[in-house]
Amino acid sequence: MPLDHRRLRGPEESQPPELWAAGTGGVPEKEEEEDAAPQDPCALRPLFARAGLLSQAEGSAYVELGGGTKVLCAAWGPREAAEPGAAAAVGGGRLLCEFYRAPFAGRGARRRPGSAAERDAEREAAAALREALEPAVRLARYPRARLAVSALLLQDGGSALAAAISAAALALADAGVEMYDLVVGCALCRSPGPAAAWMLQPGEPEERRAVARLTVALLPALNQVSAVLGGGQGSPPDDWAQALRLGLDGCHRLYPVLRQSLLRASRRRDAAAAAATTTTA
Amino acid sequence: MAALDPPLAPRPTVAGVPARSPRSLNGAFSPSPRPPPRRAVGGERAPARCRFRDGVASRGGRRLRTVEPLEYYRRFLKENCRPDGRELGEFRATTVNIGSITTADGSALVKLGNTTVICGVKAELAAPAVDSANKGYIVPNVELPSLCSTRFRSGPPGEEAQAASQFIADVIENSQIIAKEDLCVANGKLAWVLYCDIICLDYDGNILDASAFALLAALKNVQLPSVTINEETGLSEVNLKQKNPLIIRKHPVATSFAIFDDTLLIVDPTAEEEDLATGTVTIVTDEEGRLCSVHKPGGSPLTGAKLQDCITRAVTRHKEVKKLIDKVIKSIKPK
Repeated sequence: MPLDHRRLRGPEESQPPELWAAGTGGVPEKEEEEDAAPQDPCALRPLFARAGLLSQAEGSAYVELGGGTKVLCAAWGPREAAEPGAAAAVGGGRLLCEFYRAPFAGRGARRRPGSAAERDAEREAAAALREALEPAVRLARYPRARLAVSALLLQDGGSALAAAISAAALALADAGVEMYDLVVGCALCRSPGPAAAWMLQPGEPEERRAVARLTVALLPALNQVSAVLGGGQGSPPDDWAQALRLGLDGCHRLYPVLRQSLLRASRRRDAAAAAATTTTA
Repeated sequence: MAALDPPLAPRPTVAGVPARSPRSLNGAFSPSPRPPPRRAVGGERAPARCRFRDGVASRGGRRLRTVEPLEYYRRFLKENCRPDGRELGEFRATTVNIGSITTADGSALVKLGNTTVICGVKAELAAPAVDSANKGYIVPNVELPSLCSTRFRSGPPGEEAQAASQFIADVIENSQIIAKEDLCVANGKLAWVLYCDIICLDYDGNILDASAFALLAALKNVQLPSVTINEETGLSEVNLKQKNPLIIRKHPVATSFAIFDDTLLIVDPTAEEEDLATGTVTIVTDEEGRLCSVHKPGGSPLTGAKLQDCITRAVTRHKEVKKLIDKVIKSIKPK
């Protein structure tokens, strides 16, 4: 691996302690499995969403899922496009997305920032994010401009991409970018086994063991799907159709929570602006 | 003009946030409490300052702030206060949230006013270096992603991030916060590596203070599983159920000052103040009132007397910070 001169170097190689937790380690995992009560496949984990919390970004949102997934997202409104040629050809604005995983976000080994594998994974996730958000943003209203969205995953407890999609849509709305609707993301997975059912919003252990994963992004008010991402072990098309329906249902149920957080954020902002003007008056 | 007027009994501006649920950050992201409006108590000069502030924060004042920021700031500094209502020696409200990232072995989120920094520590095992067979590793890494401010672009770490990482590495080295020998499991064979990743979520100045504070809080939160080397097979066995906290030997705390016009020193600068300043100084002290390091990357020269003032203020700040960390650590329920 080429030396990364910009970061402080530790040892060449290091392994997480879980690798050596041989005898004693295997058991706790199974205990976890049994402890978690057989989850209702249609149950949604509690979601906490808050918009408008960073001072330096024009719009920001923080989404936290019950299993521990924490995503922070910041968005910036229209700015001058860096390469006017390319944007003018397309005839609308451009949406630039970024997706970072914190090195301490995953349960296993620490991800080394700056490695090639890490960069590829980030690029893939950023492309997925863009795919899900583009249909919702009115890019035609911002010709020759670029809108930037940057998502940071602080802790991965399953359904990370879905949470990031919701957070990014909230952040864009918070920044005042014109959108057709909020995008709500929902993840599903299917565990191994012949008769396994699809499960909504899997936790981290379920996602690791899953043989098929799916992330659905929906514009609930318009009832239009903006992205379907995923794959895995094949199964009859009816199965996938059923999974899709389950995902869309989950998105519809999450929508009110996100709208509430956006309303609260704008109320807070109005109250702060009013307080500022009264002190000067 | 005296830099820091009679070291004021600094008003306690620190508060620990008892997170609603220790595993979630949903309490930590509320806007930091603004310093309460000061009343004339015990001979403090409050009322005149408030009146002055209201006069300038009008429409004309806002225009001045955009067009001539230095002039705008000078008007406030002449009255020994700052546009956001703080005194020259006053810190912004500090909040700490510990142990919220469960995938990391130790974590802490620190908010200094608007500046938000999160530190996650992950412990891994590696073979120690050949020339120091009984020492483990601590690898700090400060990241300033494009998320935290428009001045940073995405990609490999820029100058400021590299400088901050080096500063944190120096603090760890100079203050001996953890003895590397404590991290060694088996001489020459196995040692702990602590990867301390400090990510800035919101950049509003004074990143060094916040990072050092977050690092200290996260290290205090780390629980390492116990490792034993099996005598017969020579393999190591990790017991994830039995965890021990790290032995923190010293508690270094950093205090940053910005130098204005070569003469005036202000504590805890915001991003705007840092841009207008002619120099910065960061002082790191430990709990016995001893100096661990002074970081002064160029900028306007400083007389010995002013430096002494800074050190005194840093020692006071250390006591506040230590009290806050202790309070928060005690309030965490054991895992």
